Amino acid sequence: MSERISLEVPLDATFGPVVRLIVGGIVERADFGFEDLDDLQLAIERLLAEAGHEGRVRLDFQLGAGRIRTRVGPLRESGLADALQVPDASPGGGMTLGRVLATVVDSYGFELTSEGDVLVRLEKLAGKTAA
Amino acid sequence: MKDTDYPARERARLADRELLRRYHEDADVGARETLVRRHLSLVRTLARRYANCGEPLEDIEQVGAIGLLKAIDRFDLGREVALATYATPNVLGEIKRHFRDRGWAIRVPRALQELNARMSQTIERLTSQLGRSPSIAEISAALETTPEETLEALEVGSNYTTLSLSTGPGDEGDADPLETIGSDDDGFERCEDRAALEPALAHLASRERAILRMRFEEGLPQIQIADQVGLSQMHVSRLIRRSLGAMREQLD
Repeated sequence: MSERISLEVPLDATFGPVVRLIVGGIVERADFGFEDLDDLQLAIERLLAEAGHEGRVRLDFQLGAGRIRTRVGPLRESGLADALQVPDASPGGGMTLGRVLATVVDSYGFELTSEGDVLVRLEKLAGKTAA
Repeated sequence: MKDTDYPARERARLADRELLRRYHEDADVGARETLVRRHLSLVRTLARRYANCGEPLEDIEQVGAIGLLKAIDRFDLGREVALATYATPNVLGEIKRHFRDRGWAIRVPRALQELNARMSQTIERLTSQLGRSPSIAEISAALETTPEETLEALEVGSNYTTLSLSTGPGDEGDADPLETIGSDDDGFERCEDRAALEPALAHLASRERAILRMRFEEGLPQIQIADQVGLSQMHVSRLIRRSLGAMREQLD
């Protein structure tokens, strides 16, 4: 399966549950586990929380065999790039947005647009969460 | 007299009345904590009466624990009544008030509430059976519902207003004893550096801090964390979301 889904949503907290439901529906089509679904929802939720409350944000999903790639942005920069730096993996290395993302998705990266905003890429693989 | 003047092991051997005396007369907060822990089984028993009312049992227990805390705080040492006797109507009253006043943050059809309440046990059973996290399709099959209804029920669960971290320890009447026991809320300073959520961790209760450390520092999956802290996976998921949200709010 290889499908692409794109949506644009207002950066308004009241749309948070709507985004979660849509992400849930997309992840369900990819037959991911419940915790994988929860992880991807959390990653997107945290990114949107960093983007402020004004404007709109675009979400692009690409479903492949056993994986979902997501692109989120543009997000207002304002220190976001620092927050997304690869976390210090040592114990006590600090709780950062980067560490949260590194935990809940299999890989992530970001790029700066010419306008100085941030585009974040997430990749989540299925079936990595065993009991 | 200060809390540290009474070792925890000594407190554990004391009768309720002596602990109540130490709390009310000596301001021994450790005595209060011991009383809360000692009577949580009462709260669980009472909460179970409301287990089929469409809300997760763990959330009802948290609400009931507030009633217990209020009973301890309001206890009159001059009255010859056992704490358990005095606490029972307080716990039940708190639970009933919660159902009446707070309930679901959005209007949710009863069928979805009930589906959400069944979800937690189903996910745990399937996780155990399959040896992995079940898919939405598998959860839906077990619950004899559609994937869309399952997703909706999961989502309404996250919209259900329990005693959230955002309520905060400053709201005295609603403080959750399970979340505030052992917490150290003093000395938190506003952090201007959003790269680091770390300083906001100090504002969380000890249980939430422990859960976040297990998830993001030790990399444990939710189901293992749930086992360690004695909660359901769904509850752990909710606490992680709320904790991260509360931490972010602290940085704004």
